[in-house]
Amino acid sequence: MTAFSRLPAPMGLLIDRDQPLRFNFDGKPYQGFAGDSIASALAANGRWLLSRSFKYHRPRGPLTMAGQDANTLVQLPSEPNVLADLQPLAEGLTVTGQNFAGSLDNDRDALLGKFSKFMPVGFYYRSFYKPMGIWKVWEPIIRKKAGLGVLDLKFQPEYHDKAFLFVDLAVVGAGPAGLTAALHAANAGAKVLLIEQQAYLGGALAWARFDVAGQRADALRRELVDAVQGHPNIQILKEATCNAWFTDNFLPVIQGNRLYKVRAKQCIVASGAFDQPVVFRNNDLPGVMLASAAQRLIKLYAVKPGQRAVVLTGNDDGYLAALDLFEAGVDVAAVVDMRELPADAALVAALKKTGIPLHSGSTVYEALHAKGMRHVTGVDVRRIVGKGQVAGKGMQIDCDLLCMSAGYMPVYQLLCQAGGKLSYDDTQAAFALSGLPQNLGVAGSVNGRHDLDNLLREAAQVANAACASLGLQEAAAPARFAAEPRVNYDWPIFPHPDGKDFVDFDEDLQVRDIVNATRHGYRDVQLVKRFSTVGMGPSQGRHSALPTARLVAQATNRSVSETGVTTARPPFVAEKLAHVAGRGFDPYRQTAMHQRHVELGAKMMPAGVWQRPAYYGKPEEREACMQAEARHVREKVGLIDVSTLGGLDVRGPDAAELLNRLYTFAFAKQPVGRSRYALMTNEHGVVIDDGVCARFADQHFYVSATTSGVDRIYQQMLKWNAQWRLNVDITNVTAAMAAVNLAGPRARNVLRKLCTDVDLSAEDFPYLAVRQGTVAGIPARLLRVGFVGELGYEIHVPARYGEYLWDALMQAGAKDEIRPFGVETQRLLRLEKGHVIISQDTDGMTHPAEIDMGWAIARSKPFFVGKRSVEILEAQPLKRKLVGFVLPATSAKPLEGHLVLNGPDISGNVTSCEYSQTLGQIIGLAYCAFEQSAPGSTLPIRVEGGEVVQATVVKLPFFDPETQRQEL
Amino acid sequence: MAALQAQQFIERSPLYRQQADATLGRLGDSVIVAHYGEHDESPQLQRCALLDLTNLARVGFRGAAAAEYLLERGYQLPEAPNRALTQSDGSHVARLSQTEYLLLGSLRDAGARIAAEEAGWQFSETANYLLPRQDSHAWLLLTGAHIAEVMAKLCGVDLRPEAFPVGAVAQTSAARINVIVVNLPEGELPCFQILCDRASVAYFWDALLDAMAEFGGQPAGIDALL
Repeated sequence: MTAFSRLPAPMGLLIDRDQPLRFNFDGKPYQGFAGDSIASALAANGRWLLSRSFKYHRPRGPLTMAGQDANTLVQLPSEPNVLADLQPLAEGLTVTGQNFAGSLDNDRDALLGKFSKFMPVGFYYRSFYKPMGIWKVWEPIIRKKAGLGVLDLKFQPEYHDKAFLFVDLAVVGAGPAGLTAALHAANAGAKVLLIEQQAYLGGALAWARFDVAGQRADALRRELVDAVQGHPNIQILKEATCNAWFTDNFLPVIQGNRLYKVRAKQCIVASGAFDQPVVFRNNDLPGVMLASAAQRLIKLYAVKPGQRAVVLTGNDDGYLAALDLFEAGVDVAAVVDMRELPADAALVAALKKTGIPLHSGSTVYEALHAKGMRHVTGVDVRRIVGKGQVAGKGMQIDCDLLCMSAGYMPVYQLLCQAGGKLSYDDTQAAFALSGLPQNLGVAGSVNGRHDLDNLLREAAQVANAACASLGLQEAAAPARFAAEPRVNYDWPIFPHPDGKDFVDFDEDLQVRDIVNATRHGYRDVQLVKRFSTVGMGPSQGRHSALPTARLVAQATNRSVSETGVTTARPPFVAEKLAHVAGRGFDPYRQTAMHQRHVELGAKMMPAGVWQRPAYYGKPEEREACMQAEARHVREKVGLIDVSTLGGLDVRGPDAAELLNRLYTFAFAKQPVGRSRYALMTNEHGVVIDDGVCARFADQHFYVSATTSGVDRIYQQMLKWNAQWRLNVDITNVTAAMAAVNLAGPRARNVLRKLCTDVDLSAEDFPYLAVRQGTVAGIPARLLRVGFVGELGYEIHVPARYGEYLWDALMQAGAKDEIRPFGVETQRLLRLEKGHVIISQDTDGMTHPAEIDMGWAIARSKPFFVGKRSVEILEAQPLKRKLVGFVLPATSAKPLEGHLVLNGPDISGNVTSCEYSQTLGQIIGLAYCAFEQSAPGSTLPIRVEGGEVVQATVVKLPFFDPETQRQEL
Repeated sequence: MAALQAQQFIERSPLYRQQADATLGRLGDSVIVAHYGEHDESPQLQRCALLDLTNLARVGFRGAAAAEYLLERGYQLPEAPNRALTQSDGSHVARLSQTEYLLLGSLRDAGARIAAEEAGWQFSETANYLLPRQDSHAWLLLTGAHIAEVMAKLCGVDLRPEAFPVGAVAQTSAARINVIVVNLPEGELPCFQILCDRASVAYFWDALLDAMAEFGGQPAGIDALL
């Protein structure tokens, strides 16, 4: 068979025969059709061996054809571990095998299988650690062998994003139950989201056979799909995986490069059931697959899955699969039923009619193969003589396809995440679910309904219940369900003395591995999992959980219910970190003058979420730029954007009272037109912020706060006033005000050119005074400040005028050689003045006395936040202190964070340190032991490379101790 | 006549550089984007468009006396917090809390009425405090058939019409910044009036355009709105 000689239509529901696609697998060219998966296209070309198993490097081919197993993991150019039975085929696609030495067909590492007896379960934990130190020898060898596929380290990240979806009802799974439930609810008026993992709607209706004539499924599928598609109340997400269930039906759904965060008022899980393999020797050979996989190949892709088939079954569905194979032209050599009789006697008659031999009460004991194990060549069929036991002799049947169906395991993962409990029903030999939360329904084969009529009835009932909860329908009377035959064979496990009877294909775990784990004392299934790694592979126990539960139960003399299965945590399938990350949202804030800084060549730096100019110039010239800017401010005039400084308008009759309680200083009698330093402590007496309170009117204060602290301070003010209930309005106007600090001896000259309605003379507008007026025609708040130690005016204007203000000042200052300066320069200038920056020069323990801020505390006030704690702290002997230190210009410069030593002990750390051109030496602030803090003391500081420099403690400020310059 | 430039005016939107290829129109003491290109932007507005109304007047009032003050000045006030009403002159009033109101200007009078409210307010001892919303917040208008889907990519609140009807106000977070979203259509055109931190609007503008891309969203001007 070639890509162009597939089964005739209507087989091949998904493929478009008019669109052939060329691709490569393992260096050889192939052809498939649009709609094919990689695996289906390869199968159509007779290529079955797709991968090598993780541990023994056994050849593996398609098992489920539904992306539910690890047998089809292949390598794409930019992505390893791609499931070939899910990945759509694309023109020119290059696919390779992975995890082999040599070639995929001739893997030298397959020899490992010969030594499986020497690699028993848990041997990893015990084999490589003795004698002591040997792990270092083994580790590189094991690491070289570990992992599958190759990462493309040059891969460019792709765009991924997230979106919320809000719906009345989310239906997970678009099989017959999901379609029926969605349709029922949508017709009742609910907004429904239908989530389907596959690329098609209909679930098993698209590939399974539900009746002997083989007519019902397709007719029902067409009817349901036609009704659902285009329904105004139904949104369909195909190729979308609901990857978890979180409280209140919060569902992460991955589709393509997007993660939907679904908020559903109601949720119905109709996730179906996983077809289960039979455990026998060589049950993993290429050509051995689930009966459902063979039916998928036929119906979805028009691929004949083999020439001569044997069907091994424990339920009636195997018979129906045999009929499908027969109709597809496959020579069905035998149906081997582990039971004595099918539930539906008509099936026996149907087999007879087609001439397919039936072997009842029998099983496949071993799948046979030629050298290289590249495909199944026959089966050894034996009579079943007891639980897991077979007769000594049997018969061999040649075949190139072995289909198996041992029963079903509900796709319980989402439901267990929702709190559902699994219990084993011995009469059905299957797990059943109970204990689901409100607003979560379950319908279909996941709930043990396999009969189509029962299943449709249940879906309608569950949808009705959801609609009743939504207030869209009256709750109907409970539906009645017909009794259903058992679909699970109770013990489809036939251990072989030579092993290779795989329970877990991902991890190459055989029956004896599971049993031996229990013999090591790991009786709990969770411990069995961790010791043996069963269920830890990509298929996450979809086919191993049920046989493991049965084997552990038998080995520990407990019931399967008592044994249970391991916890099914999210995610349901592997998800990429890119999906979790989505499109990154990293907010930033820019001042009104931001672009002017950029145009002037500023090196921008983050200050919290703000972007601020650090200095103007190239990064490699940082020091020179800073020193030049600092000199300019000291000698001429500079302009800095201080818009990021926090701004809070506090207005109302109790404005002064509020500030009096929040800050350490006294504000009740602060005159209008004056500003006052404001220090804030928390209830523990720790300094948390500082700023300036400018009183513009009796009931109006304009309070500044630190750039990074203002949001917290605003919250504190609201929080405290929620208790105090003072008559005051607090407004955060940080972003609303653009502000600059015009600083330097020529500042007044510059401002005079733009501000004519305020007397700027030192007498009428002295240091610490505040005024309202206009600057360049803009309404402005003016504050005389001295943070950098020079004559300075902070000018605050509405943000809409910010850029214009900057332009006007730069223009007006041209003759005075005005120059912009940045934040790092400002930090140097304030350091020369010995001003602390809260959170840089303070930490989570700093109290006012440690930073010589005792002067900023109004001790006669009855209360301020932290007053009691400050008093207690001040009553204790000081243990440390923030001091100024100097070092010669030629000394190694300490960095922030470098340690201060006191003999053999660490007594503090450097908080700020720069070279001051003005002073010709290195200056800094550091915490030290109190006994080291007297001016003139020597302060040992350990700098880069472990060198210890001897700094000298000096009295602050370093510059202009009489503060004459700022009071000009 | 030479084309208008944003830098000719003292009031400037933080986004004016992103609008360099737009034709600007006069709006009071500032400018606003009239249109991009020469074609009629009405279909774009109907599909998915983003307009910068940051230079259009808006102001807030808060305090126990705010409602009385506004009623005296002829405004219709929403009866409950998180509701908004369009006034007869095209301006809007959103009630953000029991005692806080946000007034959004109308393009019909270039925001003159609301601008006058801001200019005319005097600090007094009555509990009615002006909030400088024009300077604290940028104002964006998201229009078209996909506004709820666009916001669903940025915001965890259900803004579909059935959950967020006309006149509803959401004070929430979108793309990790605080926003006020008001559902006030312009006639038949679905619109979200979005107010965000003015200093963050360059960031938020890009985040919105990115979210709009899959719906064919583009920036647009006010001509097609009038």
